[in-house]
Amino acid sequence: MERREVSFRIYRYNPQVDRHPFYDNFKVAVEKGITILRVLNHIKEHLEPRLTFRAFCQAGICGSCAVRVNGISRLACTTQVWDVLTGSGDDPILVEPLNNLEVIRDLLVDVDPLMEKLKQNSSWVAPAIPEQQMGCKEHIVSETELEVIDSATDCILCGSCYSECSMMGVNRRYISPPVLLKAFRMNNDTRDTIGAERLQQVTADHGLWDCTHCYRCVEHCTKKIAIMEGIHRLREEALERRMTKSEGARHAQAFFDDIHDSGRLKEVTLPLRTKGVAGSLGMIPLAMKMGLKGRTPPLFMKKIPDIKHVRELYRKLEIRAVVKRHAVRQTERLQ
Amino acid sequence: MDHSFDIVIVGAGGGGLFAALEAIRTNPLATVAVVSKVYPTRSHTSAAQGGVNAALANKDKDDSVELHVFDTVKGSDYLADQDAVDYLCGQAPLVVRELENLGAPFSRFADGTIAQRPFGGTVKDRCCYCADKTGHTILHTLFEQCLRQGVKFFNEFFLLSLEHDDGQCQGVVAMNMRNSSIEAFSAKSVILATGGHAKMYWNRSSNAAGNTGDGQAAALRAGIALKDMEFIQFHPTGLRKSGLLVTEGARGEGGYLLNRHGQRFMSRYAPQKMELGPRDLVARSMETEILEGNAFTSDAGSYLELDLRHLGAEAIKKKLPQIRELCMHFEGIDPIEEPIPVRPTAHYSMGGIDAGMAQTAVRGIYAIGECACVSVHGANRLGGNSLLDILVFGKRAGQEAALEAPQRKARPVSPAAVRKAADEIKSYASHERYERYGTIREEMGRTMADKAGIYRTEAKLRSGVEEIKTLRERFRHIRLFDTGTVYNTNLFQILELKNMLDLALCVTATALERQESRGSHYRNDFPVRDDQSWHKHSLCTLQENGDIRLGTGPVTMGKYSLEARSY
Ligand SMILES: Cc1cc2nc3c(=O)[nH]c(=O)nc-3n(C[C@H](O)[C@H](O)[C@H](O)COP(=O)(O)OP(=O)(O)OC[C@H]3O[C@@H](n4cnc5c(N)ncnc54)[C@H](O)[C@@H]3O)c2cc1C
Ligand code: SF4
Ligand code: SF4
Ligand code: FES
Repeated sequence: MERREVSFRIYRYNPQVDRHPFYDNFKVAVEKGITILRVLNHIKEHLEPRLTFRAFCQAGICGSCAVRVNGISRLACTTQVWDVLTGSGDDPILVEPLNNLEVIRDLLVDVDPLMEKLKQNSSWVAPAIPEQQMGCKEHIVSETELEVIDSATDCILCGSCYSECSMMGVNRRYISPPVLLKAFRMNNDTRDTIGAERLQQVTADHGLWDCTHCYRCVEHCTKKIAIMEGIHRLREEALERRMTKSEGARHAQAFFDDIHDSGRLKEVTLPLRTKGVAGSLGMIPLAMKMGLKGRTPPLFMKKIPDIKHVRELYRKLEIRAVVKRHAVRQTERLQ
Repeated sequence: MDHSFDIVIVGAGGGGLFAALEAIRTNPLATVAVVSKVYPTRSHTSAAQGGVNAALANKDKDDSVELHVFDTVKGSDYLADQDAVDYLCGQAPLVVRELENLGAPFSRFADGTIAQRPFGGTVKDRCCYCADKTGHTILHTLFEQCLRQGVKFFNEFFLLSLEHDDGQCQGVVAMNMRNSSIEAFSAKSVILATGGHAKMYWNRSSNAAGNTGDGQAAALRAGIALKDMEFIQFHPTGLRKSGLLVTEGARGEGGYLLNRHGQRFMSRYAPQKMELGPRDLVARSMETEILEGNAFTSDAGSYLELDLRHLGAEAIKKKLPQIRELCMHFEGIDPIEEPIPVRPTAHYSMGGIDAGMAQTAVRGIYAIGECACVSVHGANRLGGNSLLDILVFGKRAGQEAALEAPQRKARPVSPAAVRKAADEIKSYASHERYERYGTIREEMGRTMADKAGIYRTEAKLRSGVEEIKTLRERFRHIRLFDTGTVYNTNLFQILELKNMLDLALCVTATALERQESRGSHYRNDFPVRDDQSWHKHSLCTLQENGDIRLGTGPVTMGKYSLEARSY
């Protein structure tokens, strides 16, 4: 069995005793096939009993153990050490808590904000069946209807996408990718009855329209869910339902126009066109914050490794967008 | 901070959540709180892959509640209480449809009805499923509905003790894990739904790290009896390295079990049902193959193979996607191309808090789900009956507690109970202590696997009891390394270990006592079922001095009388 000594550099912070977070280094002899979680358990058991992190199922299904490994959010229990070795394999592996959530201690973060957002955005099916008739008979749901939402029901609320989301990075009040995914899952469930109401909630400020299309959530979803397809579908639904009055919808309109006209997104002028000059001034602090974090729009695009896939998606979208745009304009003209 | 509610539910797995939902729906005026040591969607219900049984007759049109009852009673080796089984199976179609109505994404047949597939130990195909993420989707659906109904959650609160005043419920004492504050939750009714205790087998277990039987141990200390603790189910197909589970669905879909000679060895043990025999039989057959030298050998121990390759890539990807992922992550193999290395693993605790139809001996205290022994599983649980158990009895307990609450007088938890809990925790840090958590836990896991595993004998069990007693003694010197108050995981591990040790003593002691073989409990020295002396439940209670007192109770019979159990 292949075996080697690996260094781990682990984020530590106990608010009770530490003035500032710091990093602890551990050297562990690791066999091939060992996961990051097994290493954390080993450290806790033999080297530092105070090391604090969450883990439960150890099987990639409960969503407890998400951390950042070498800067990327993933499940500790399904991440093989061998897969995250860098350099000649001698660089320390960096293990840190998720981003965009308060650290409670070491690798453990407060996930209450995520739960709260689920609650605020009606992340449940509200069925048509009255209470008294519950359980009397099944809804008939076709395999194709189920297929639409099937992969969205894989979400384990691990928070990895929450941590990776670039919009979350600048605005913690942003609705967040898993909550949008849930909204998509519910709105496309044939048994649900409150689609319009839910869409009102998710399109409020800091909502659906604030997504920057950076695809980081898709790239890092631990369950490989195509979250953006859900987000796009929600946007289409918002336009179909003529929720076009908001700033976000106008933004989307301008976005579609860009893709149509040049195949490129002119992020720089986008605020001007959706908010007007006065409104755009208000965005300067945000833009600066994004710039400081190295997250100015052009960077987003470069970070996507599988650009071919993205382009293809965009192409499909473009076609749909054009069709939609005409439809929306038609209705606007009629009004 | 102290709290007061009409109903406090401890545990936010499928059982606890359905209880909460039902309580609020039954009596919208009742105040309901759910206390859980993990966020609800982290609960171990999420790990259930295979499915949930209900005689919907969507697949086999001639299936019926009757047949489901028969399968369950026979599967239990006639130790289940038949009134409870009647209720379980009778309610099954209702609760499964209800879950469907509430949004659970069940897989469908071409006609749009809920799909059903075969599962071990049943005469009809009645297992309803959501691909191989059944527990996960059920848990999320229930959590979503609880959010919808505004259920109050106390997430990351750890149950310390269960309180009653001379047989009348007072509530529980729990610790806020974020800041170690010890708080009283006074309640007219408490529903315990803390899940199973099979993690006491540690590395040879399919269970989550927290399946440590905390509710069972709290009930035991509160003077409530535990029932049928000797019955631990070993699942036939745990992954060789981690013990993680490959669902029975994999065999349901047509997977073969092979020994190193490439034989489908189940033909020798269950020629009719083959790989789909009941779990205890399949697990034992595998252990025999291993003991007789017919297994593969490796650094990580002996193993057999579960071969899915003949099902084809398409079917594996569509019907068993999570299993495929699990194999890739934890064994480094793709079941489309290679057989899966497996061996039996401790999986489910049939025994638990003695609760007839969910109600314990203490008025107002209920126990449901895997922490309870109602008893619908008897000596052996059928696959797909446990999710059903948590739903049916979770719902029932929620309903009863909600109807009962307005009529009961509140009896608050005493400040002394809170002080007692606080003193105990302080003692772990203050004493001159030297034992390490990890060492005791390792030894406990090994003792349980070696001495109270699939094949048991008087000699093994006797030394098992002694070893656990010694470990309990050593536990008194355990050292708490972390004395902080912010999310002290070190402390929770120690509390869980204490609970597991108490329950391990119950398991080994009752296993030693039961001189027969029945269901999952197999004694080489008493290889046959002995209805004359042992057709009864075992009971254990805790004595003042910390020892266990053993007793027995009658089995409720019904339509089906004792018969030999063959497949
Ligand atoms: C790998 C696997 C696969 C399975 N597959 C199937 C299947 O296909 N079909 C089937 O029917 N059954 C299956 N089972 C069994 C079934 O999943 C469980 O029996 C069932 O989910 C238990 O549910 P529960 O609600 O009783 O407890 P759990 O879901 O285990 O929940 C227990 C709850 O109690 C809380 N808790 C525990 N201790 C404390 C404490 N000290 N303080 C506060 N809260 C506490 C936890 O936080 C948790 O919320 C499977 C089990 C496993 C392990
Ligand atoms: S695509 Fe939208 S939701 Fe996804 S990470 Fe980027 S900003 Fe966040
Ligand atoms: S969408 Fe993916 S990454 Fe985000 S919480 Fe769900 S499973 Fe985790
Ligand atoms: S521990 Fe459950 S997902 Fe990793």
